[in-house]
Amino acid sequence: MVERESPLGAAYTPGRHGVADKPGAQISEPRPGSIVEIVAWPGSEKAALAAIKGATGLTLPDRPGGGASKAGKSAFGFAPGRWLVIDQAEGLGPALRAAVDSETGTVTDLSHGRTAIRIEGVRAEWVLSKFFAIDFSVEAFPVGEGRSTAHHDIFTQIQRTGDDRFDVYVFRSFARAFWTSLCHASEEVGYEVS
Amino acid sequence: MSGRRIPDGGRIDRNRPVRFSFDGRSYSGFAGDTLASALLANGVTLFGRSFKYHRPRGVLAAGIDEPNALVTVLRGTKREANIPATQLEIYDGLVTESQNRFPSLGFDLGAVNQLGAPLISAGFYYKTFMGPVIGPLKGTRFWMFCEWFIRRAAGLGRADHEPDTSRYERMNAFCDVLVVGSGPAGMAAARAAAGTGKRVILTELDPVPGGSANLSGETIGGKPAVDWAADEAAELAALPNVRLLTRTHVWGYYDGNTLAALERLGDHVSSQHAGEARHRHWVIRAGTVVLATGAFERPIVFQGNDRPGVMLAGAARRYTAEFGVLPGRRVAVFTNNDSAYQAAAQLRAAGAEIAAIVDTRLSISPAARDLAQKAGGELLLGHAVSATGGRGALSGITVQQVDASGGVSGEKTNIAVDCLVVSGGWSPAIHLASQAGQKPKWDEDLQAFLPPEPAQKWLGAGAFLGAATTAEALRGGRAAGLKAAGAMASRAALEKVDAPELDPHPAPVFEIRADGGKAFVDHQLDVTADDVRLAHREGFMSVEHLKRYTTLGMATDQGKTSNVPGLAIMAAARGISIPEAGTTRFRPPFAPVSLGSLAAERFGELKPDRLTPMHDWHIERGAQMMPAGLWHRPQIYGFPGETLEQTYVREAAAVRESVGIVDVSTLGKIAVQGPDAAEFLDRVYTNMFSTLAVGKARYGLMLREDGLILDDGTTWRLGETEFLMTTTTAAAGKVMQHLECLLDVRWPDMRVSLTSVTDEWAGAAIAGPNARKVLERAVKGTAVDNDTLPFMGIVRGEIDGAPVMICRLSFSGELAYEVYCGAGHGTHVWEALMAAGEPFGILPYGMEALGTLRIEKGHVTGAEIDGRVTARDLYLDRMLSKKKPFVGSAMMDREGLADENRIRLVGIVSLDRQPLGGGAHIVEKNSRDEPNDSIGHITAVCYSPALSKYIGLALVKGGKARHGQRAFTADPLRGRYGPVEIVSHHFFDPDGSRMHG
Repeated sequence: MVERESPLGAAYTPGRHGVADKPGAQISEPRPGSIVEIVAWPGSEKAALAAIKGATGLTLPDRPGGGASKAGKSAFGFAPGRWLVIDQAEGLGPALRAAVDSETGTVTDLSHGRTAIRIEGVRAEWVLSKFFAIDFSVEAFPVGEGRSTAHHDIFTQIQRTGDDRFDVYVFRSFARAFWTSLCHASEEVGYEVS
Repeated sequence: MSGRRIPDGGRIDRNRPVRFSFDGRSYSGFAGDTLASALLANGVTLFGRSFKYHRPRGVLAAGIDEPNALVTVLRGTKREANIPATQLEIYDGLVTESQNRFPSLGFDLGAVNQLGAPLISAGFYYKTFMGPVIGPLKGTRFWMFCEWFIRRAAGLGRADHEPDTSRYERMNAFCDVLVVGSGPAGMAAARAAAGTGKRVILTELDPVPGGSANLSGETIGGKPAVDWAADEAAELAALPNVRLLTRTHVWGYYDGNTLAALERLGDHVSSQHAGEARHRHWVIRAGTVVLATGAFERPIVFQGNDRPGVMLAGAARRYTAEFGVLPGRRVAVFTNNDSAYQAAAQLRAAGAEIAAIVDTRLSISPAARDLAQKAGGELLLGHAVSATGGRGALSGITVQQVDASGGVSGEKTNIAVDCLVVSGGWSPAIHLASQAGQKPKWDEDLQAFLPPEPAQKWLGAGAFLGAATTAEALRGGRAAGLKAAGAMASRAALEKVDAPELDPHPAPVFEIRADGGKAFVDHQLDVTADDVRLAHREGFMSVEHLKRYTTLGMATDQGKTSNVPGLAIMAAARGISIPEAGTTRFRPPFAPVSLGSLAAERFGELKPDRLTPMHDWHIERGAQMMPAGLWHRPQIYGFPGETLEQTYVREAAAVRESVGIVDVSTLGKIAVQGPDAAEFLDRVYTNMFSTLAVGKARYGLMLREDGLILDDGTTWRLGETEFLMTTTTAAAGKVMQHLECLLDVRWPDMRVSLTSVTDEWAGAAIAGPNARKVLERAVKGTAVDNDTLPFMGIVRGEIDGAPVMICRLSFSGELAYEVYCGAGHGTHVWEALMAAGEPFGILPYGMEALGTLRIEKGHVTGAEIDGRVTARDLYLDRMLSKKKPFVGSAMMDREGLADENRIRLVGIVSLDRQPLGGGAHIVEKNSRDEPNDSIGHITAVCYSPALSKYIGLALVKGGKARHGQRAFTADPLRGRYGPVEIVSHHFFDPDGSRMHG
């Protein structure tokens, strides 16, 4: 297989940046092999959740924004009857395609089209709050759940994959601009790119 | 120092001296000082010149309500004007200057304006605008002549023209309870709400929390109030569910309990760490808001009330208690209420001599009498200050007997003082409540406007509600905090407050009327009591007219000290009560907000740029990029020394002669999938898609409901229930919205899903007679011959290991293919195609060449599809299916849209061999001097290498009917006039043999 090029280019600068002795945030590009969107027709949501479970082993709560994450696999709802399913390995798209027929819904492979950017650390909530009008407190946004939002013109889907870890999915064409902004916003708390 | 500094007390740190400068002179203060307190400590009382009359001015207030002492702060090349000296914390190296004076603050030539004062009273510029209606200047441009002088003479500080390099940022916050103001009421509210476990944000506009506790001299719970406040604040700040924001003013109250606040992080320090914002714009979404914003003291309006040395009594207390500065050595007090007696006692205790206490009332409370005794000095009840004296600074006051309406009479007594402190009562700071509520309510006892009924979820506490005592503030604050947190009220005992029992009700005296000089209502905009009466005489009686006619309350302080006195004077002039005369209403911002914080970081490298997968390749190849919406696209790949035209002509010619490649990744791409996808497309496109075979593409046209064209593009059928729709780059978002709206609202039962896959695919268009040969060399896994891949056919294969999807379609009119691959493989595939094209001299081409090729071919884009054209206007009638209804079909045949004489698509050729200009008019007669009706306009232009002419596309009345006619281009903006020939828009290869070959 041809290796996929990162959209970040020269904006990706590994190492420590910003002021603090101890970085408040770690920023990375997890580069998952598969990012797939599943849409279920109204009434077929349970079948879609079963398909997600079959392909990833993840049991998703059947509620808006419900999600789960483990062992390199993640999934979350980002709109009624819509989920984003992520696997660190390639090949999830065809697997889900086989599991979801057109009577249940649709499967769209977005492995190239969305870029995952991870921010974690004690100041991750603070940094993300500069961008999104979302309550990032763990009570309002529990681990595993997903949210759809936007920063300026950049549509964004966010999953909380840990107490202070967030995986942010943006359109690939915006990835470098968003990454640059994220690093800029993190300077204040110190950040490490890995 | 002038000895104005008292030895201890206050928030200043006497161990940390700070050097700063004002008007070029160096001074010393202490950490914790404001510029106002530090200058007062140095004996400086003259801070600036007034707006219109250039009168000398000092400090009137000690906080954000200051109208007079505005200064300009200089940082490097940056000038920031109109900063209240009372809000500006000093730091080492601070450089400031006074405003609106020439050549210097002490000697200001503009002060001559005072001589012409009768000519520049309220409304003078409206009168000047109209120009003289009689006399020798009637009908002249006298206003234009005056304007220059007026603009020079009036005004405040001057801004610089340098870009602002400071960092500003936005922060979103959520909380259950937002408490605005950290005085005793706010502190109690925050404490009570935090105790329930709710998330609390407490904001304080000053650097130190505590509000009135910091200056009251009272004791709370046995501690000095100032210590109580510090301890409370420290405990609150340590709680995990409380965020305490100092130097933060909440300035806007918006719908949905959303509030805007500005945190000033960098204004009080000489430098900041990289990455730290100067200002942080907070957007706070609060469950419930507790407004504990306190009250502003009102001045009394009297002659010479603007002389440096006259200040509010509460301000004098602040300077003494918080900054350890005596505002004067020999002080008089002038009041209509009890609160000023506390000032008298505090100033006396700090070492000032109280010369007299002048009170308009005939009797006062026993507690006030006690305080007067402590203060010393003569107690003059039933008296008022009728004038002040002094050059530049106050040297004395004139006192006379006063009646209940503010009229003075009797003997004039002169008292020598260097400071006069004044209190005209208190106006609750109801600004935020007013923004989020109805009309404020007038309270006759307090002589003040109280907050309106809430229209949003807020509660009030403390002086904001008119509470006069600290005990009341603590009680009200706790109750509001508990209620806001949804908890039960508490009956537990509160901390005991030791404070004198003063009478909270002022006498209803707002102005002392005496013949003679000016008495100022709005100090910042130089509005006098006589101006208010002039507005009344000239018919501007409504409070809204009063404001606009006199500019009362329109300055940067938004009338914090002037609105109520102004209203009272107007009410008196009209012989009606204050609430009958009108109310003060407020809109955001409560206090000035930096524009940088509102623009927070959407510029430069923080702009949301969209880059294609091959962006870096283009840059490395020297492409000149151009914006296309948020996208960056190559405009040309120029050689050194080439002009833009030479480059695109070379690129376009290469396509016609051999082969070229262009990045088309920006085209909007939408995955349209589901059992009803084909039916859905039949409804949204004017032509049929359900009949399209799998593995084929079709050009489609979409209309809006009103029958005009929305967008065009090709849609590929990838499977029975799976389509890939492409849109123009510009309309991608619009089309997606349109389709989602149709599915969500109009046809919710259709089983169709839409997903933007614009970014999933990198796209490269290969065009030219050798395009197929390039593909033959590059593509594996499929043939690309005419049988396997006919016009509008789709095949899948592989290029250098990367899966690709190829559709044969043409925008250029040449044999052409669009090659799509995963975006992450974009550069890889692009480079493989470049390598495969090398034997044919393949050239990358940019937007200019792409435009040239499509103009030659007569293909339309967003330039023609401008939201005003119909399918018939573009001769796309054949696209309008008669077999089915579609979005827009019901409206597209309206008479006006079917008119043959609408502006319709044509080609034009420049007959004078000069370039044409996009947007230029087409006219029938060539005349610069005799403009005649436009018959249309040019939409796109280029030099056509295929035709060796300057050509263009245009929308011209009658369209085809004018083919062969001569007309003219008229472009007055760019001065271009010349003959053109109207021709068919199919300039090149009209039968399409090249692209079908």
